[in-house]
Amino acid sequence: MSLDRSSRGGGIMKMTLSQKIGLVILLILLVFAFGGTWVSPYSLSQQDLNAILQPPSTRHWLGTDQFGRSMLTRMSEAVMLSFSLGLICVITSAIIGVTLGVWAAWGETVDSIMGVLVNILLALPGLVIVLMLAAIAPGSFLVLYLAISLVQWVEYFRVVRAITKNVIHSPARQSTKMMGFGVWYQFKRHIWPSIAPSIFTLAAFGGANAILTMASLGFVYVGIQPPLAELGLMTVELFPYYSEAPWVLAQPLLAIALMVFGFHLLAGKRT
Amino acid sequence: MKVLLKLTDISVYAGDTCLLEPISLTLKQNVPLTILGQTGSGKSLLAQAIMGLLPNGLTSTGTIELFGKEMTLKERQSLWGSKLVMLPQEPWNALDPLMKGVEQVKEVYQYVQNKTPQESLRLSMDDLRNVGLSGSEYKRPDQLSGGMAQRLAISAATAGGANFILADEPTKGLDVSRRDDVVRLLQSRSAAGGLLTITHDVAIARQLGGDLMVMKAGCLVEQGVAEQILRNPQADYTQALIEAEPKTWIDAEPVSKESHDEILIVNQLSLKRGGRILFEGLSFTIRKGEVVGVVGDSGCGKSSLGDALLNLLPFTNGTISRLNHEAKPHQWLKLYQDPPSAFSASVSLGQLLNDLVRLHRIDVQRIQPLMRRLKLPKGILERNCLEVSGGELQRFAILRSLLLDPVFLFADEPTSRLDPITAKEVTELLVELANETGCAVLLVSHDPDLIRKTCDQVISL
Repeated sequence: MSLDRSSRGGGIMKMTLSQKIGLVILLILLVFAFGGTWVSPYSLSQQDLNAILQPPSTRHWLGTDQFGRSMLTRMSEAVMLSFSLGLICVITSAIIGVTLGVWAAWGETVDSIMGVLVNILLALPGLVIVLMLAAIAPGSFLVLYLAISLVQWVEYFRVVRAITKNVIHSPARQSTKMMGFGVWYQFKRHIWPSIAPSIFTLAAFGGANAILTMASLGFVYVGIQPPLAELGLMTVELFPYYSEAPWVLAQPLLAIALMVFGFHLLAGKRT
Repeated sequence: MKVLLKLTDISVYAGDTCLLEPISLTLKQNVPLTILGQTGSGKSLLAQAIMGLLPNGLTSTGTIELFGKEMTLKERQSLWGSKLVMLPQEPWNALDPLMKGVEQVKEVYQYVQNKTPQESLRLSMDDLRNVGLSGSEYKRPDQLSGGMAQRLAISAATAGGANFILADEPTKGLDVSRRDDVVRLLQSRSAAGGLLTITHDVAIARQLGGDLMVMKAGCLVEQGVAEQILRNPQADYTQALIEAEPKTWIDAEPVSKESHDEILIVNQLSLKRGGRILFEGLSFTIRKGEVVGVVGDSGCGKSSLGDALLNLLPFTNGTISRLNHEAKPHQWLKLYQDPPSAFSASVSLGQLLNDLVRLHRIDVQRIQPLMRRLKLPKGILERNCLEVSGGELQRFAILRSLLLDPVFLFADEPTSRLDPITAKEVTELLVELANETGCAVLLVSHDPDLIRKTCDQVISL
């Protein structure tokens, strides 16, 4: 879902100011995630019990947590983890949703089968499905990824199916078909240009949602398990020290807020 | 006679570009004024300027006097509904799709005229009965035909009590028979008031009478009493507009009778849609190079017949036999009513043409002469379908079809969205090309005159 393809030949230049700001926020976080692990000499679980809950200093740029672990390392690892999950969830659910959506809009039988399946999925709250699956195998990144994608593809499916139905019945597609063009060409020229903007918007919101879901699960201890660094998990672990070391607790919260904010700005608004 | 509207040097600008040259006019009580001209001639801008509805970015200069008093934009806006009203171009865009017809009229009485709900309902029922909509009061706009929807829209627009009406293309997309109804309704609604009609249809101007102004590309070409101008036009442009009326076209020469190559035989065809029988037992034969016309009011199954012939719609009974077995499926083609909706806007027209050339290995050398023949400028290929005019796009659609050497072309009201002058050009071109290339054309139109003048065989539904 690269930017230049989704916004119909527009690319970064055609983005609105708020979309650009969102992109910049996300890029800064990404640079921080890569830079942090590269700069920091400490490993993820290297403890120093003589220096717990330290404020930011030249030794520990972002301070240390309750076990004296470097917050810089842990924060950049956590941000990286969130980004990776968000990205692969978006890609997976978009591909599944778009493929099935277009297929369902084109074929009657598939449509009715998919309709039943999607209604069942929609009847259950998304977070509950993810929670159930995550509870089966706590701490598994793979299960988390599969569960979130399973919930998210439904949105793409429904939007794509609705738009594609209209396009398929449009005179434009009919005339292209009559002139002998194949299925792939009809998709490329008619269906993709009309669904691409919506997919991009959904993808941006989907990325934010995936990150929030993972943090929520971490917060209730069914997500990624210690000693790995994950934003929700770090929040709950650092929670008891909020009065002694508020700056440490603020870091994962700020990171989550910035990521979600960045994605939502990037999604832009419909004109 | 009382002067209702007086414009002095009204012009419209977008930034520094002048869209509408300074124009002055007077409209008197009981004398309808009609502005005639092609789309893009600035007619609609004038109406918007009078109402105070110009889109952002456009500015108007000059003075507007209404009911004998010069008025500012704010003052004019305060007259909306009660004194001054503008009719919507296409009723679908002006009516609430989810609201029952009578409710839409009732609301106006209730909120513009501050009447009680009971009183409003009674008045709106009367209104709808008067415009011949009894029995359809509780239908939603999508359950009404085009003419009925337009009558509903007019009722709703005039329920506020305004008797000075600005009508911008009030009959766009309506059948000829429905058109007369709407014009009559306009006349009765504006009795004892004023009527300013904007149209490209000479027939409407003739019917309304009164004063006439002819406009072209933002300039006034001619003005005077409608009857005189239409009988004895001075400007070439007015002449061209009058000649573009199908009624005045010269009759088509029938296809030379030696042609006996039948390409399509239809036998006892019946078609049903949505539980309603459209037609039954229809039989006809189409020969090579023949132009076959189909006429009838909207909803009678004209387009469905063409779609059935192209296997786009299933039919209930009868047979359709294609006799030309050498022709490939892609040589049976269709021209659409609304050109922009028949193209993908995602790429340029040139790209679409290239795709076609590559798919069917068409000789590129053929494109240039054809483009010249169809009077298509070269630059058109760099633009997409929304950036060219409807006429150009329909000619481009013809170009695209011709490159595939069609044996049969179903033209579904190909000119109903085009200006009369452009429509004439496109229709003539289509008939000429049918004769030259031997492609049979099934021409569907709601205008019996157009069909009678151009077709070798006529099917009335």
